[in-house]
Amino acid sequence: MSDVALLSLTEIAQAITARKISSREATAACLARIAAWQPKLNAFMAIEADSALAAADAADAEFASGRSRGPLHGVPLAHKDMFYEAGNISTCGSLIRKDFVASTTSTAVARLRDAGTIRLGTLQMAEFAYGPTGHNSHFGPVCNPWHVDHITGGSSSGSGAAVAARLTYAALGSDTGGSVRMPAHFCGVTGLKTTVGRVSRFGAMPLSQSLDTIGPLARTAEDCALLMEMIAGEDPDDPTCRGGEVPDYVDACGESLRDMTIGIPDSFYVEDLDSDTAKVLEETIATLKREGASVKQIALPDQRKLSAAAQLVLAVEAAALHKTWMIERPQDYGPQVLMRLQNGLAVPAVLYLDTLRWRSVALAEYKAAVEGCDAVLAPVAPVAAPTILESDVGASTDAEAVIQRLTRFTRPVNYLGLPALAAPCGRTARGLPIGLQFIGCPFAEATLLRIGAAFQRATDFHRRIPDLT
Amino acid sequence: MPERPDPSAILAMSKVAGVPIDQPTADRIARAIGPAFEGFAPGALAFDLEPSTFVAVQTKDAPR
Repeated sequence: MSDVALLSLTEIAQAITARKISSREATAACLARIAAWQPKLNAFMAIEADSALAAADAADAEFASGRSRGPLHGVPLAHKDMFYEAGNISTCGSLIRKDFVASTTSTAVARLRDAGTIRLGTLQMAEFAYGPTGHNSHFGPVCNPWHVDHITGGSSSGSGAAVAARLTYAALGSDTGGSVRMPAHFCGVTGLKTTVGRVSRFGAMPLSQSLDTIGPLARTAEDCALLMEMIAGEDPDDPTCRGGEVPDYVDACGESLRDMTIGIPDSFYVEDLDSDTAKVLEETIATLKREGASVKQIALPDQRKLSAAAQLVLAVEAAALHKTWMIERPQDYGPQVLMRLQNGLAVPAVLYLDTLRWRSVALAEYKAAVEGCDAVLAPVAPVAAPTILESDVGASTDAEAVIQRLTRFTRPVNYLGLPALAAPCGRTARGLPIGLQFIGCPFAEATLLRIGAAFQRATDFHRRIPDLT
Repeated sequence: MPERPDPSAILAMSKVAGVPIDQPTADRIARAIGPAFEGFAPGALAFDLEPSTFVAVQTKDAPR
């Protein structure tokens, strides 16, 4: 292959370790693609070419002297601009934090850095991670590499676009209401929304303490597994993170779909789908069966109620976090983000606490409903990526309703704190990607990655690469 | 079902929260968040239920 940037994360990591490709070659290849694509996509917030090449040279020198930092030694990556790295600016996609220099480093980023990764720069995102489309009124929208007049999804908009266009081998994102899965779906990449408590959130910009999760976006499920082995697990700096050993996610990817049972919801997730999405869902079910999985229809508890609960929790927790800036700097928010933050002011404390108290009841009901299933298959969204123009609802009176409709299949998962793997499963007639999500039970990421990897061995949607035209 | 907030209640709550808003904003918030109030109806929750029960249910029978 002439362009080493087109390799997967797993392939480039192995190639660098085997000294077949240098870190400089890999880093230079990514930087060349970034230079070509950035004017079209607006995927990067900051490009740090000189420091990336210097770090790559240092990584190569370390290898030459017989030292390796870990399995990702010399691999260049970029992450959503909300992961703090001490001494570096982390804008969080906002004007308010455009000059914010972090004094701490995100645990997830620190673990990847300790594994030897190289920092390419930072990736665009929705302002304060509060938006599912990829619009950003301060820094402009991120454009979909498959059709630049279409959205990427958000809030990890730059992560989705940059991974799809092969500008970085993978990226970290966050998912509070769908922010990893929406860009994965719209951009045709693989994204893992992790269980609440699986990956440390220390040093990652908060949006909602109850719902926030950190997860990878990459080209394949196997790549996500590789990253998960680095970033998952307990962290003294994040007491909400679960202790104990972390599964061997990469090993799980080698297993087949035999003996796996996939649940297909009989309502909600199959309603009001556009024809392309409905077709892809049917074709994916057929592929899963062909690969040896059993498929059964299941009745889930009321998902609309979960969705409403997620909206209430997110609204209150985001408003509380942003209260000071809402008072002192309201003019520095984008209109839609300020509007959504203000929504949280209307929720009484008793109702908010009821949403949190009911969460265990809802999770127990869900677990009972999916008993016997290894995962549930559902669309990420009812449609493929809309155009930037048609989704630019700004602060219009129906903006919240539009946002809620777009994210109605992702929010229930956030409320229940479940893991979900979004993977490319098909295309529209125009060539826009369609992703579906495999939803698992708590801490069942290894099972989801196994399913995703087996599905990707049987399909090639994850291998398709957009052209720069 | 929780009662949908009306703009006057939202104005009062925002003032108490220390984030004053104007009437049009209160009207807009009522329209935006109202459907979530209608969609979330937990009924009578058990007296002993607390938010941290979620973690107990989450980790019960969960793989490592």
